[in-house]
Amino acid sequence: MDFVLFAELSINGAFSGLMYSLIALGIVIIYKSSSVPNLAQGAMTMLGAYMVLAIAASTGAPLWLAVPLAMVVMFSTGMAIERLSLRRLAGQPIVMILMMTLGLEIFIRALAMAIWGAAPRRLPIGISDDPLFLGPILLNQAFIVGAAIAVALFAVTALFFRTRRGIMLRAISDDYTASWSVGISVERGIALSWALSSVIATVAGVLWGAVQGVDQSLALLLLKGVTIAVLGGLDSIGGAILAGILLGIFEAIASGFLDPVIGAGSRDLVVAATLIATIMIRPHGLFGRHDIERI
Amino acid sequence: MFYRQAGISYSSYPQTRALFSLAADRRAVAILFVIALVAPLLFGPGTVSAVLTPWLIWTSAVLGLNLILGWAGQFHFGYAAIMGIGAYAAIHGTRHGLPWEMAMIAGGLCATVIGCVFAFAALRVKGLYLALSTLALQFAMDWVLSHVPAITGGTQVTLQAPPPAVLGQVLGGETSLYYIALAWCLLVTVFMLNLKRTPLGRALVAVREKDYAAAVIGVNSFRYKLVAFATSSFIGGVSGAVIVFAYYGAATPEQFAINVSIELLAMVIIGGLGSIIGSYMGAAFVLLVPGEMNQLIAWLAEMAGARLSVETLAHIPHVIYGALIIGFLLVEPLGLGRMYQNVRNYLMVWPYGHLHK
Amino acid sequence: MPDTENQVTTATATPGSRPSANHILSINNIEVVYDAVAMAIKGVSIDVPAGGLVALLGANGAGKSTTLKAISGLLKPERGLVTRGEIRYQGENLEGVAPQDRVRLGIVQVLEGRRVFGHLTPEENLIAAAGTRMSRQALASNIDRVFSYFPRLKERRGSSAGYLSGGEQQMLAIGRALMTQPKLLMLDEPSLGLAPFLVAEIFEIVRRINSEEGLSVLLVEQNALAALDIVSHGYLIENGRVVMHEAADNLKRNPDIQEFYLGGAQAKNLRDVKHYRRRKRWLT
Repeated sequence: MDFVLFAELSINGAFSGLMYSLIALGIVIIYKSSSVPNLAQGAMTMLGAYMVLAIAASTGAPLWLAVPLAMVVMFSTGMAIERLSLRRLAGQPIVMILMMTLGLEIFIRALAMAIWGAAPRRLPIGISDDPLFLGPILLNQAFIVGAAIAVALFAVTALFFRTRRGIMLRAISDDYTASWSVGISVERGIALSWALSSVIATVAGVLWGAVQGVDQSLALLLLKGVTIAVLGGLDSIGGAILAGILLGIFEAIASGFLDPVIGAGSRDLVVAATLIATIMIRPHGLFGRHDIERI
Repeated sequence: MFYRQAGISYSSYPQTRALFSLAADRRAVAILFVIALVAPLLFGPGTVSAVLTPWLIWTSAVLGLNLILGWAGQFHFGYAAIMGIGAYAAIHGTRHGLPWEMAMIAGGLCATVIGCVFAFAALRVKGLYLALSTLALQFAMDWVLSHVPAITGGTQVTLQAPPPAVLGQVLGGETSLYYIALAWCLLVTVFMLNLKRTPLGRALVAVREKDYAAAVIGVNSFRYKLVAFATSSFIGGVSGAVIVFAYYGAATPEQFAINVSIELLAMVIIGGLGSIIGSYMGAAFVLLVPGEMNQLIAWLAEMAGARLSVETLAHIPHVIYGALIIGFLLVEPLGLGRMYQNVRNYLMVWPYGHLHK
Repeated sequence: MPDTENQVTTATATPGSRPSANHILSINNIEVVYDAVAMAIKGVSIDVPAGGLVALLGANGAGKSTTLKAISGLLKPERGLVTRGEIRYQGENLEGVAPQDRVRLGIVQVLEGRRVFGHLTPEENLIAAAGTRMSRQALASNIDRVFSYFPRLKERRGSSAGYLSGGEQQMLAIGRALMTQPKLLMLDEPSLGLAPFLVAEIFEIVRRINSEEGLSVLLVEQNALAALDIVSHGYLIENGRVVMHEAADNLKRNPDIQEFYLGGAQAKNLRDVKHYRRRKRWLT
C-alpha cells in the first residue's frame, strides 16, 4: 500500500469533493424550500460558466468583473425559471416535477450548445497549473483554490440562514401554511431559493470550468451533485459538505486503485454505486430528516 | 354526432365490459387495423422501414414504460437499460442456436429477471429515491455494457443481429420486419387495453393513487408493484430485442444509453401518462417533430437571410425537444392523450355542446 | 321534566349586531365550498367589534376553523373557496387579497394544532413572523414584549421549537402571531390537548392582551366552558350555520347550551336526557 499515493489521492479527492458539493448545495437549497429535486442543477452550472464567458466577451470586462455580473444575471434567471415553469406544477405528482426539471436540463444544455457551440472553451481564472508540493505529496492548485472558495461559500450560506430572510426560508421549508399564516410569502421565498441556487451554480461553473474547460460536460456534474445531496441528506446543508468530502475521497481512491484493474471510468461506477448504496441502506442520507422518505 | 351514444343498450354482462362500446370507436379501430395491414402497399418501402417500423417498436416500448409510469405511478429512469438487456440477450440467444422466437422470449425473460432483482431492492423506497435508483441502474448498465466485452464485444464494436426467423423461415426484407414490429405492437396494445378490465389493472391504479389506502383494503402494494415492474421489464426486453432485429440490425451500447431513457420518458409524458393512444401519439411526436421543426427553422432562417451555423442547426432539435417537454408539462400535463380525449368529448355531444354545463 | 317548549331563537338584542360602524370584522352570509363539492359553511354572518373578545363555539366539524381560514385566506391550500357573501375587514372587502397581504393588514390566525416551525428555535420562530420591514430595535422590543407575556418561552428560547411541550408551543404560536403586530387576532382551538391549568393560564393571557392592548380577538373553541369565561359574547355554529348569537352570560345560562356544550347543569336520569336530546331540533 503506497501511503504517499493514498494520501495524495485522498487530499486531492477531498478538495475536489468540496467543489462537487457546491452543486449539491444548490440542489439542497432548492429542495429544502420547495421540495423539488432540481435535476437541472448541472445545466445551471454549465449555463453560469457560459454566462461568465459571454459577458466577458460581449462587454470586454475582465473576469473578476464578469463573474459577479454573471451571478446577477443568473440570479434573475433562476427566479424566472422557477416562476415560469415550476410554479405551475406546484402540487402535481413528483413524476411531473422531475420530468420538468429534466426537460429544463435538456433545453438549457441544447440551447447553450446551439448558441455557443460544442467546442470546449477555456476559463482561465489565474491559477497556475504547477502543482504544489506538500512534502512528497502533489497537490493540484486549482482544487485547493476551488475547495477554499467552496468552503467560503458554505460559510456565507450558513450565515445567510441566520439572517431574517434566511430564517424565513427555513420557516418555509418547515411548514407552508404556518408561514402564510404569519405573513411570510412562500412564493417569494421559493423564488429566492432558486435564485440563490443559480448564483451558487455559477460559482461552481466557474471553478469547474477553470479545471476542465467550459462545455456540456459541466452539466454531467449533476450525477455527482445528486449523489452527494442524497448521501448528505437532501435537506441538510452541513450534510452536503461532509458527503462531498467523503465522495471525493472515495472516488479518487477507488479510481486510483481500481482503474488499472477494471478499466477506465471506474469513478462513474463508484458514484453510481454510492448512490444505490445510500438509497438502499439509508435513504434519508447522513443528516436528512426521516420524514422525507414519504414523498 | 360522430360518436353517437344513443341507441347503445346492453343485454348481457360481457357486453357492458366490451372494450369499445361506441360504434364509431369500433369502426375507427377496424379501419386503422386494415390500414396497418396494408401499409406496405400504401406507403413505399422507404417510409415503412424508416418511419412506420421504428414508430411501432418505440410505441410498444412506450406502452411498457407507461405500465410502470402511468398505471403504477413508479418512476423508471432506466428503461433503455432494460431494453438493452433484452436486446443483447436475444442476440446471444440466436447466436447460440436458439430459434428466433425463443431467443426473443429469452431476451424478455432476462430483462424481467434482472429488472425484478433490481426492483425487489429498489421498491423499498418511493418517489424520488426510486427514480434515483433506476437512474443508478441505467448508469450501472451503461458501464457494464461498455466494460464487459463478453456481452457487447467491447465499446466500439457493434454486435450484429442475425436475421429473424419465424417457425424456421428466415425473414429478410423490409416488409416482413414491418409485420414483426406490427405484430408485437398489437400484442402489447391489446394487453394494455385489457389491463383496466383485470384485477391487476385495478390494483395498480389503487396502488398508484394511495398505496397505504390500497394496503388497507388488502391490495399488497409491494407485490403488485413488483408484478408491474416484471411485466413492464418483459415488454421492454422484448421491445429492445425487436428494435435490434427489426430496425437497427445490430446492437451498440449507445442505443441503450441514458439519453434514450430520457427520450422514452419524454414520449410517455408528451403522449400522456397512462394513455394508450397517447403512447402512439407521443412516440410519433418525439420521433418526428424535432426533425421537422429543425427543417422549418432552417427554412425560415434562409427566408430571413439569417445564417445559422451548422453547429447551431445540429443542436436545435434538442432545444425543441426540451422545449416540447416543458411546454407540454405547462400547458397540458396529461399530454396528447388528454387532448385527444377533449376533442372526442367535444365531438361526442356535437353540435349540442352548448347544452353541457 | 325538561322544558321542551323552550325553543332556541336567534337573539336579536346582541351587542353590536348590524351597523358596521365600529366593527373591525364583518362577515356577511358567506358560503365556503371544499373541492368544489363539499359545502362546509352554508351561510355565516359574524361581527367582531373593534377591541372586542368574541367566541365562536361549536362541535367538531361545525365549520369554525373553516370560518377562520376564510378570513385569513388560508382556504386555498386545502382546496376551499368562498363562493358567496363577503368578508369586510375595517370596511374593506377582503376578496382576492393574498394571505400574506391580509397579515400585513393586521389579520393573523393562530392555526389549529399550533403548527410552530419545529426546526427553528422559539426566538427564530418570532423573528420569522416579524417580516423584513421591522427595524432592529423594533424587532428586539417586540420580542421582549412577547417574552414578557410568556416568560416560560424566554427560558426555552434556545431549544428547537419542536421539542417544546404542548402548552409552550401554544404560547409560542400566539407570541409568533403577536409579532406580526396584528389588529385582529384569531385563535383556532388554543385549548386543544392542553391540561386545564395551562388552558386557564393561556386564556388569562389572551384576556390580558385584549384588555391591555385593545387587540380584537376572535376565539374559536370547542371548550365552551373556558371560552365563555373570558369573552363578551359568542356565536354558536352548527353544521355550517350560525344558530345563536348571545352575550356570554346568556349563553352560559341557556339550558340548551348547558345540555349540549357544557355538560348539563342539572342531574337527570338517562331517559330524560335522551328524551330531551331527541326532542331538540337545531337548524340543520
